[in-house]
Amino acid sequence: MSKAMLIDTTRCTACRGCQVACKQWNDLPAEKTRNLGSYQNPYRLSAYTWTIIQMREVEYEGRLFWSFLKRQCMHCLHPACVSACPVGAMHKLPDGPVLYNDARCIGCRYCMTACPFRIPRFEWDKPVGYIRKCHFCFDRLAEGLMPACVKTCPTGALQFGEREEMIALAEQRLKAQPERYIQHVYGKEEGGGTSVLILSAVPFAYLGLPTLADHPVPSEQELAVPFEYLGVPSLGKEPVAKLNDDLARYGTPGIAIGVAAILAGLQWYSKRRGTGQHTGDAAAAAKESGS
Amino acid sequence: MTTRCAQWARSLPVSWTEVAVYLLLLALTALGLGVAVVRFMRGLGATTNLSNAYPWGIWITFDVFIVPFSAGAFTLAAVVYILNDERYHVLVPPVVLAGLLGYIMVCAVLLADLGLPHRFYNIIAFLNPESFMFEISWCVMLYTIVLVLEFSPVVLESLGWEGPHRLVRSFTVVFVSAGIILSSLHQSSLGSMWLLLQDKLHALWWTPLLPFLFLLTAIAGGLCMAILVSMLLPRAFGRPVRTHLLANLGRAVAGFLAAYGVLKLLDLLIAGELGLLFTGSTLSFLFWAELLVGVVGPVAILSQSRLRETERGLLAGASLATLGLALNRANISMFAIWRPRGTFYSPHWMEVAILVGAVAAAVLVLALAARLLPAMLGPAEEEAA
Repeated sequence: MSKAMLIDTTRCTACRGCQVACKQWNDLPAEKTRNLGSYQNPYRLSAYTWTIIQMREVEYEGRLFWSFLKRQCMHCLHPACVSACPVGAMHKLPDGPVLYNDARCIGCRYCMTACPFRIPRFEWDKPVGYIRKCHFCFDRLAEGLMPACVKTCPTGALQFGEREEMIALAEQRLKAQPERYIQHVYGKEEGGGTSVLILSAVPFAYLGLPTLADHPVPSEQELAVPFEYLGVPSLGKEPVAKLNDDLARYGTPGIAIGVAAILAGLQWYSKRRGTGQHTGDAAAAAKESGS
Repeated sequence: MTTRCAQWARSLPVSWTEVAVYLLLLALTALGLGVAVVRFMRGLGATTNLSNAYPWGIWITFDVFIVPFSAGAFTLAAVVYILNDERYHVLVPPVVLAGLLGYIMVCAVLLADLGLPHRFYNIIAFLNPESFMFEISWCVMLYTIVLVLEFSPVVLESLGWEGPHRLVRSFTVVFVSAGIILSSLHQSSLGSMWLLLQDKLHALWWTPLLPFLFLLTAIAGGLCMAILVSMLLPRAFGRPVRTHLLANLGRAVAGFLAAYGVLKLLDLLIAGELGLLFTGSTLSFLFWAELLVGVVGPVAILSQSRLRETERGLLAGASLATLGLALNRANISMFAIWRPRGTFYSPHWMEVAILVGAVAAAVLVLALAARLLPAMLGPAEEEAA
């Protein structure tokens, strides 16, 4: 039922047809960019660029890799942004996409702060701005089509299908060419799992992705990478959104009832001690609240 | 009665310095309001240095500091109305007003911070009970109403409106209790809010105990606010300070801060993260600063009766603890959050101007209330012991 995208970074040629397809399908404007000494362009995601091919030169086990990673919303199975949003403007569809509802948003930007992959972007250039990010072409999915970026990919670096099938395909590739890949399907378990799965020739931390705590994170010295994402922190296998939701569901009423009970107890105690007579009417009110 | 207010106001001599201070505060408030108009017309991008790497800036840091600092209102109300300690009753009006002004400042700054401020009512129309931001917004709204009710007797009494005054008085314990429940909820939720940042917030600060640590530091920070307001306001008007009463609050601050410090270090010990204290990184330095300024220093001063019984000792202890609280909230909401390389943030002058305007307005209202409402500084003839 739940769909997923498989990104095989070793098959990507950085043609960036996916970037163009995304802009075309979603009617996104071009952005004025600067040459920062890299083919990576635009350099970062923005409210008007929902996917980019991130290019990194990585030295790993004595070899130089030029790695191309498609960055976009990971469409988590337990998204932090959905738990964060106070007005429920973020929600996850059963078939995969994490969607944003313009009509509900108040612009608090907690989703941006909470997202472990740093994906949601704000329209800073407008007097009244909305959040923008990849929506997994939910409109195409509804018509039985694949996302525009996958459709346009000429090398098969992007695949789309049922999540189980994509995991099976990924593991089949790992087994067929073990020397080609790091033996790990990124997104199968990270942060409770994502609807975007990634295969890579170099450790995922070198790509700037938050890794599982049991995967060693290379130090900044090891990562002689001239790019922005360094010193990447780690994610758990349990989605942190679950901790958040459980605490909100049970902790909040727990605190309210607990504190109310303590207050009632203190009132009863101080009245019994006879110190509760600080004003007559307050003592009368205490009877009402104490019950 | 209005005449009583007038008599009271006349009993405090007005100096030119005081008038000059009021005019300065008024000017700063006007500047803040003007900048706020520009912000609402031109949007966040044009008037702040916020970015995709720094979606939250100095406004959020201000909010997460001012809310626990304003907790003085709820802690003092708990002492007076729940523990029924009549002695502290005389401290309540200015502290409750300071708390109320703190929450109004936070609401105003939050409104400026929203990307879609004209939609703020969506927080009431659409609910996501799993969001701690939702819980905080609701509790802050409700608690601000509670604070208005808690402060209203002072105003009603001065106006001589006996009926409403008696009505509000008869429900005091009810809404004080509601205020304590709401405060426990949102003070802890301000900590829970950062739990989702497990992979972004530095391990020296991220712990599942965050909600409890935030509540503890809010109680200590709130008591410091009660001490500072109860010292600085009478001093400003040449009234005696009730040092002896405040010293008791100081002792409580030392107790809560010591409990917090022990808990924080135990948490790091159990998580096996004590080593992070000695990495020599900027963040480990910031953690030490927070611990020394906000916990070790104030506990050392306020745990000794010899020091906390003096105005200078109290002032030093409460100020240090407040600074430490601010540093703690700044570390969590700003410095210890992981950012992409090569991205920086320093507040735009308009961001600062709005904060300065809000603080100036609050100080101005507090000072004018002290001048106009007899209950604010207590009876002049009372001994200051």
